Amino acid sequence: MICEKCQKNEVSVHLTDIVNNTKREYHLCRDCAQSHGVSIQAQLQNFKNLTVPEFYASPQEKSETANSPEGLGDCPDCGMSYSNFRKEGKFGCSRDYDLFSGSLDDLFEKIHAADQHKGRSPARYHEQMVQSLEVERLRESLTHAVSDEDFEQAAAIRDQLRILESGS
Amino acid sequence: MSLDNFKTNIGEWLQGTGPDADLVISSRVRLARNLANSPFTSVSTEDQSKAVSERIETALQRLDGGLPLHVMELEKKDVVERQVLVERHLVSHDLATGSGSRLVAFDEAESFSVMGNEEDHLRLQVMKSGYQLEEAWSQMCPLERSLEEDLQFAFHSKYGYLTACPTNVGTGLRASVMLHLPAMVITGQIEEMTRAATKIHLAVRGLFGEGTEAQGDFFQMSNQRTLGLSEEQVLENIASVLPNIIVYERKLRDELLERRRERIEDRIGRAFGILSHARVITSKEALERLSLVRLGVAMGFLDDVSMNQINRMFLHSQPGHLQSLVGEPLTTEDRDRKRADLLRSILGDTSGEGFSSS
Ligand SMILES: [Zn+2]
Ligand SMILES: [Zn+2]
Repeated sequence: MICEKCQKNEVSVHLTDIVNNTKREYHLCRDCAQSHGVSIQAQLQNFKNLTVPEFYASPQEKSETANSPEGLGDCPDCGMSYSNFRKEGKFGCSRDYDLFSGSLDDLFEKIHAADQHKGRSPARYHEQMVQSLEVERLRESLTHAVSDEDFEQAAAIRDQLRILESGS
Repeated sequence: MSLDNFKTNIGEWLQGTGPDADLVISSRVRLARNLANSPFTSVSTEDQSKAVSERIETALQRLDGGLPLHVMELEKKDVVERQVLVERHLVSHDLATGSGSRLVAFDEAESFSVMGNEEDHLRLQVMKSGYQLEEAWSQMCPLERSLEEDLQFAFHSKYGYLTACPTNVGTGLRASVMLHLPAMVITGQIEEMTRAATKIHLAVRGLFGEGTEAQGDFFQMSNQRTLGLSEEQVLENIASVLPNIIVYERKLRDELLERRRERIEDRIGRAFGILSHARVITSKEALERLSLVRLGVAMGFLDDVSMNQINRMFLHSQPGHLQSLVGEPLTTEDRDRKRADLLRSILGDTSGEGFSSS
């Protein structure tokens, strides 16, 4: 499979982006995936605590779990409420961005005519990227192990995944 | 270093040595960054702010690139000292007048500076003389990377670098140029230019940025958008209009010389006369006259006055610098008197004979 962005390299990452209930899949080479940088943390989040059967869940089911609506209660870290944020126009902490994310796309569209960062990212973010590629690789081996009914191998891989994920 | 050096010198960005410095006074890039896992400044407790300041200070000491930095805690500076830092564009008005633990760090040339606990935990700034946005950005990149090694910045996979204000999110980059466009003002073309800039989402404002009125034909142009375009695209946007602005202003100056030479020479000459002989002058009048004299120097009317002198007058005649020079707070009237003294002394060498009408 060839990378959909550069149309040159072999695909090494399959990313799923869920925006406004619409699921979009990206099949990218490693380089393009790094520059794309979409929702890697969200992906890692999705992989967290997944058990073998859940890996088999249909994409539809997965997207529903990932998309469960978050309440707009006060931020547990800084105490910011959504109404206060709209009144003051300032965030209280990083977490507010996730907490209020349901309505941020519209706001950012108004201010920036965009809702997606396209600039550079921290070096450690690239490390996370590498880690997510490793998670991706293990996930594939896990799928194979399970379909080969090699449950001992599958359990070992799952343990590896857990170690990786708890370290993130 | 004490603030004493500020009484006589000017930052490198104000030396008037950069490319197109007759029109583009300075170029600036600013990055907004926050430390991950610490609430933004406005909701931080005293202890959290102190901890942030300390982490920033430690990281600055380890900064690669070998720049020795002066670090100052703002809460330990008096009103005049803080005003001086604002006038030198090292500190924002908000940081100067804020409360709690705040710091500023800058190198000897005042080219690189860092504000700690502004609206965002960190505001990094590089300023250069003339039109050197690309160069300013090149200087910024390794400094930011080096700080990032020590300080984990708040970053979001979708929204990029997280900032307290939604208008800075994404790159956190504000790139700006300070322009001197007297011919556009005289010929009434400035609104047209502002409209054109706004069309490509550049903001045109007064001398001290947001919310300030343009004074003395000085304008600041900067990007409005920080999300959805790369740092390079932001710089390219400005680069796509700035050369046209420079060419247009030069063309208008030539036309003024051709069609209204006497009028322009007269106005410049009068402005020079006032600056070099006045006994009392307000900051508003000084700025307006300085703008004309600056135009005179650029047009070659005033051989004995240098851009450096103009820029020194421009900076040192501001209230904070005047009071710092005298060493005590001054009433507005006293300031106007001291300002006139200072302008006369800086122009002293030329004693009024520098005006060479040709
Ligand atoms: Zn590719
Ligand atoms: Zn919060």
